[in-house]
Amino acid sequence: MSMTKLTLQIDGRSIETESGRTILEVCKENDITILTMCHLKGITDVGACRLCLVEIEGVSKLMSACTTKVADKMIIRTSTEKIKRYQRITTELFAAERNHVCSVCIANGHCELQKLAYDVKMDHIRYPYLFPQCEVDTSHPLYVLDHNRCIVCTRCVRVCAEVEGAYNWDVMNRGTNVRIISDFNTPWGESITCSDCGKCVEACPTGALWPKAVVQGQLNKAPEFISDLIEKRKMKL
Amino acid sequence: MDSTTKKQIVISPVTRIEGHAKITLQMDDRGQVTEARFHVNEFRGFEKFCEGRLYTEMPVISARICGICPVSHTISSVKACEMIQGVEPTYAGNLLRKLMHIGQNISSHALAFFHLSSPDFLLGYDSDPARRNILGLAEKYRDLAIRGIRLRKFGQEISERITGKKIHAMGIAPGGIAFPLTEENRKALLNWIPEAKETIHIGINVIKKFHDENEAMVKSFSPTPTLYLGTVGSGGQHELYDGKLRFVDEDGIILQDHVDPKRYLEFIAERSVNWSYLKMPYYKPYGFEKGIYRVGPLARLNVASRMKTPEAQAEFEQFKKINNSKPVHGTFYFHYARLIEALSGIEDAEIILNDKLITDKHVQHFARWNNHVGIGCSEAPRGTLFHHYVTENTGKIKKVNLLIATGQNNPAMNRSILDVAQQYIHGDQIEEGMLNRVESAIRCYDPCLSCSTHATGAMPFMVELVDSEGRILKTIAREN
Ligand code: SF4
Ligand code: SF4
Ligand code: FES
Repeated sequence: MSMTKLTLQIDGRSIETESGRTILEVCKENDITILTMCHLKGITDVGACRLCLVEIEGVSKLMSACTTKVADKMIIRTSTEKIKRYQRITTELFAAERNHVCSVCIANGHCELQKLAYDVKMDHIRYPYLFPQCEVDTSHPLYVLDHNRCIVCTRCVRVCAEVEGAYNWDVMNRGTNVRIISDFNTPWGESITCSDCGKCVEACPTGALWPKAVVQGQLNKAPEFISDLIEKRKMKL
Repeated sequence: MDSTTKKQIVISPVTRIEGHAKITLQMDDRGQVTEARFHVNEFRGFEKFCEGRLYTEMPVISARICGICPVSHTISSVKACEMIQGVEPTYAGNLLRKLMHIGQNISSHALAFFHLSSPDFLLGYDSDPARRNILGLAEKYRDLAIRGIRLRKFGQEISERITGKKIHAMGIAPGGIAFPLTEENRKALLNWIPEAKETIHIGINVIKKFHDENEAMVKSFSPTPTLYLGTVGSGGQHELYDGKLRFVDEDGIILQDHVDPKRYLEFIAERSVNWSYLKMPYYKPYGFEKGIYRVGPLARLNVASRMKTPEAQAEFEQFKKINNSKPVHGTFYFHYARLIEALSGIEDAEIILNDKLITDKHVQHFARWNNHVGIGCSEAPRGTLFHHYVTENTGKIKKVNLLIATGQNNPAMNRSILDVAQQYIHGDQIEEGMLNRVESAIRCYDPCLSCSTHATGAMPFMVELVDSEGRILKTIAREN
């Protein structure tokens, strides 16, 4: 695809870039902070979490920065009151939808959702907690999947398919009943596709996926590692 | 009122103990207290909601049962996990865990003695309840109050310097501990030892002076004999962290010795009562009433043959003289016992901090799930604490049983309340000083109610005199 140079404005700043890039990419290159959760550099963006919403002049609805491509003369705003309000709502809904008890969570202190809650200054939650009954899948010898802490960002699903090529993970059901599943909804430990590589665990932003070998305080996930891996694999040596 | 009418005095909640409780005193028409029931109104259900979690999460989850003794829960829990994995902790990891356990014990005993109990001794039982606390103490005995607060701080600093957190420490893991101790932190902790030791000695002098000045009261303060359970080392020495169980009877005869804590169910049975969430454990071979036993500082000193460290041993020898080498039953001696334990803890901490391997970097062994069942035990500040897990093949928790110190002391506590109430309450004259002595009997046990029922809500502090029909004859409300 041939790139064409284009000029756009983000938060009043005039920025030169090339066509084919997402608003998120351009913002990152220019040190403009955008909150994200389902985005992981290198894998396909799906626009699932709705945290990266931006305002584009002339477009009536908010658009997700991770899936919207830049266009010439676009005027973009990333931190209006409206956007902040939406981000806070989204974060609160994450917290209310499943059962997050940070104090006893393996990811406490190392969790992207927890960090997000600080970023949007979430001091309370205005929505009723759903308290769903969620399974903890401990069947895999090395890892645990705890649906109580899953925000259904699908980073695990995409990493498994696009980077490892194992296609173990998928998504089942809709709405609040949506669940990440292993193979055809069988226990993870019985998977015939999982290669035990642990990339999904590294990619997961919360305490939903974690290695059995660690306890609270020891979790050290490195999703950037996946992004680096993707870059390295592109290199032809 | 006809002559068979019974009256009830209800004290609720008992101030200055962790959690919430209510006492009902059943009185007959002659104003004699005939029965005492210590009600626990909380219910937290930890055993239930841990089901379905991975067993290695238990050390962190169970620490949240209690803000005073989280380390004991974590230690018992982590030992249960180690039994499941079939792994031993590393030398340095185990030492650091021991040190954390000592730190919590000192901190908890400091809270029990200096903050919660010493106002009674120093300001007097009948002094203004609004000032009979650590702040009131600070007005009259400033140095002592500050020392008490600092001693508690020392205990918490041990945790902070090892794990980075004062209260709900992270990093105690099956196979050891997650972080090594730095040389800087080792030195900083060692610097605390002289001050901490001095404070304990001051505390011991306070309690001994009180003993001397109030001999009759101290001796007669709920002296009903019970059996005792505690942990001892291979030579019968006092132990808090590792060791085997010893039961002794009221005369000090050893009933069971060197029992592996994993066998606790062979010797301890529990019965439920409809008026309390606390279960009533007893020594199985003796049946319910006869098998009432106590755990905690007094029990540990009553079962131990000796202390591990010289200064604590010297104090222990004096303690032993109280009842001619036989178990000391007087509930008031809990306080003395607590301070002797704190002294031993400080001496022990000094030894541990001088161990060459304390700063070793090899702190954790790693293993996987291997066995279905795990049982772990440690001596919490308030007594022997058991964690018992049953897991499924992959390590998912199927069943949890927590046998907690306050639960084990519960039957004896009721007996102690009855003892004291019978001695101090006659007729329906309810005076502040007398009621406080009933509460004080309970505080001797330093019960932690939130943990023992794995069980919120404060009730207004009231004392009610109730007849057998449930009619309130008299109500006294008191500020908390
Ligand atoms: S996953 Fe993150 S937000 Fe959820 S309980 Fe764990 S630490 Fe808290
Ligand atoms: S398991 Fe983790 S990575 Fe997968 S969808 Fe849930 S939160 Fe996202
Ligand atoms: S990061 Fe863009 S929608 Fe999730």
